[in-house]
Amino acid sequence: MSPRRVSHLFAVRLPLVGGASSADDAERRLLTRARRGDPVAFRTLFEQHSPAVWRFLRDLFRDDAAADEATQETFVRAHGKLGALRDDARLASWLLGIARHIYLESRRTRGTHLDIGSEENEPLLEAALPSPTPEDLLLDREMEGLLAEALGELREERRSALLLRIDHGLAYEDIAQVMGWSLPKVKNEIHRARLQLRERLAGHMGNGGRS
Amino acid sequence: MSTPCRESELDALLAGELSAEEAERVSAHAATCATCTRALAWLRTERGWMAQRARRMPARPALRFEALEAKLRPASVARPPHREHRGWVAMMGAAAAVAFMALSMAPRSHSTSHGGFSSEDGWSEGMVSIARVPACMDPSVEAVARVEATFGACLLASPARPLP
Repeated sequence: MSPRRVSHLFAVRLPLVGGASSADDAERRLLTRARRGDPVAFRTLFEQHSPAVWRFLRDLFRDDAAADEATQETFVRAHGKLGALRDDARLASWLLGIARHIYLESRRTRGTHLDIGSEENEPLLEAALPSPTPEDLLLDREMEGLLAEALGELREERRSALLLRIDHGLAYEDIAQVMGWSLPKVKNEIHRARLQLRERLAGHMGNGGRS
Repeated sequence: MSTPCRESELDALLAGELSAEEAERVSAHAATCATCTRALAWLRTERGWMAQRARRMPARPALRFEALEAKLRPASVARPPHREHRGWVAMMGAAAAVAFMALSMAPRSHSTSHGGFSSEDGWSEGMVSIARVPACMDPSVEAVARVEATFGACLLASPARPLP
């Protein structure tokens, strides 16, 4: 691949949580007001963050109604504990952490086994998988369904870590905090999750067999 | 990037999380490494998928604030601003009552020279001043009643001052 092609790849910059910006300042002001009991400020925070929290919970529960209930519970708890949030720039990861706690509580209540991953060094990149084509960037309904299935096949912890990174844009350090893991383990688990996902989807992409 | 290639570094590069120096190093390596180029294509695809998926999220009743509001404690959501409002009204009422008492006890004058209110001369014409409201200086019961009915507006911008 030519350097020009590679530089085009680097041109993609997605926003990440935690970066200093005027949006962050606005959110800090909202948090200050919400802590003082301003319902309008809390409502704004809810409207900004609840879609991401719901999406994360739906990916964990794989059930819309359960995600509904858990999203509301997340914000009820957040409302009562806003004063406990030390770093206002980490509101999103804090909320997602509460959401995951609620998910885990729900699983424990139902007696569902939670698998625990092992800590290993990050493996080297695999060269065997084909490279996606530009056409593969389009997520059509079929591929969306396949992606949901592939995500659902990941172990819960691995799925959570992956989604916190690729869907919610959390920094690796924030994911380590949410998951209670070391930084190397976060990188390792996300990498393995990606490889699993790619292996599952590669056959359906480009010339790989998708109709 | 020295071998072995680390996907987390490529990921951080795409996310704009690397310093300029690190980004330069990783970019230079990736430009010549087929494995990293392929990994970058996957990373871009995944991010694109996630963005499309997020945009297609269905509207859910649970994401309406009204649905949540009932579960929040009314005490911690609605009361503080209400309390503030009530406190402000009470404070204004008390201030108005004190000012009205001071006016009632002050020596009366029908002079229109306003000499006794020179300290208010600097006030804006747009602000209501007791010194320029004859009704406030009228000792009759009717006038007092009228002032009582409107004293909040009358006294709001005119702190009571003892006459010299």
